[in-house]
Amino acid sequence: MAELTGIYTASHTPVMLNFPERIAPELRNEIFGAYRAMGQDFQAGKPDVLVVLSNDHLHNFFLNNFPALCIGVAESYESPIEHWLKAKRRVFKGDQAFGSYLLQSALNEGFDPSFSMEMVLDHGSLTPLELAGLDPDLPLVPVLFNCVQPPMPTMRRCYQFGQFLGRAIRDYRALDRVAILATGGISHDIATPRMGMVNREFDEKLLQLLEAGDHDAVVRYATEFVHTAGNGAEEIRMWIAAMGAAGDLPFRRAYYRAVNDWYTGIGIGHYAPVKAAAHD
Amino acid sequence: MGNWRHMMPTTEAYLLDKVLYQLHHNPEDLAAYNRDKSGYLARFRLTSELAAMISNNDVAGLYQAGVNPYLLRAHCIGVRIPEDVSLAALRSLLKEGDDKWLS
Repeated sequence: MAELTGIYTASHTPVMLNFPERIAPELRNEIFGAYRAMGQDFQAGKPDVLVVLSNDHLHNFFLNNFPALCIGVAESYESPIEHWLKAKRRVFKGDQAFGSYLLQSALNEGFDPSFSMEMVLDHGSLTPLELAGLDPDLPLVPVLFNCVQPPMPTMRRCYQFGQFLGRAIRDYRALDRVAILATGGISHDIATPRMGMVNREFDEKLLQLLEAGDHDAVVRYATEFVHTAGNGAEEIRMWIAAMGAAGDLPFRRAYYRAVNDWYTGIGIGHYAPVKAAAHD
Repeated sequence: MGNWRHMMPTTEAYLLDKVLYQLHHNPEDLAAYNRDKSGYLARFRLTSELAAMISNNDVAGLYQAGVNPYLLRAHCIGVRIPEDVSLAALRSLLKEGDDKWLS
């Protein structure tokens, strides 16, 4: 039975890599420091594999065939796919057996994800991994949610998928230690007239509900108010899936700042077993 | 305003999306576009108005036509439209009340 060593939630934006100078150095250092702190906490759990919950920004998938959910079952994952992203090209190791297990288990439990044996990871996965300084040799299983083109899976369905994912990971016998990184959100607009106008009130309320541990309230709030927080806020589907996977584990906010000049409400959070939290 | 121009893309938006997708996933497409924009865009079933939106870097027009915002964003960065220019074009469409939470 695998132990979930930690479940992390973190925003991503290509602006962090492409236009970092758009914010003051002090703030930039503070944010990059928060990602590094997340990485150190993550490494302390010594996971064998990382499940990355993210979204494809219309790179692997296009509107001719766009899955609501896709599980990676490749031996390796190149990144990034964007020719314009200022990031070092790298290849992440995959865990094909674990990805296949999650895929089959999902189908057995009534979910219908697609799968990919050749997925190239974009900035959504790469940016937080890069900034957190995670071990490039740590095997990954990416799970991509459609958050970028309506119609999209509902918040509640993403929560239910997260619940499934938590159960399936804990039931897996071939690994001892697994971590989850859910990336995206929080409030931001991409290429709309609101771009650069972070809805801090939405983010604050969402974070408060997550901290309160009222999962149903989080799902309802996300469903009813995401339209006020920008198209990029649709990525909180991954935060909600992480919440489902966490079950009774408490959520703790590690960092939040509304960064209008990076167009994004930058949030980092963590679900951890109580015994691990006591050492923090 | 909501998060999306269309809850289901129009065929017009799909065609624009297809051009932007191909430009930024096939290096030979981007090279052909940079050599001869009109010639490249003639490969697609675009009206002259839609083709002009792309070749003129009409960010506001592409947004209003319902182009997927992630493809639009990638295009702006990929063809090096200055960040402040694309932002100003989008902001020109802002309506009263859209920025009520900006602080």
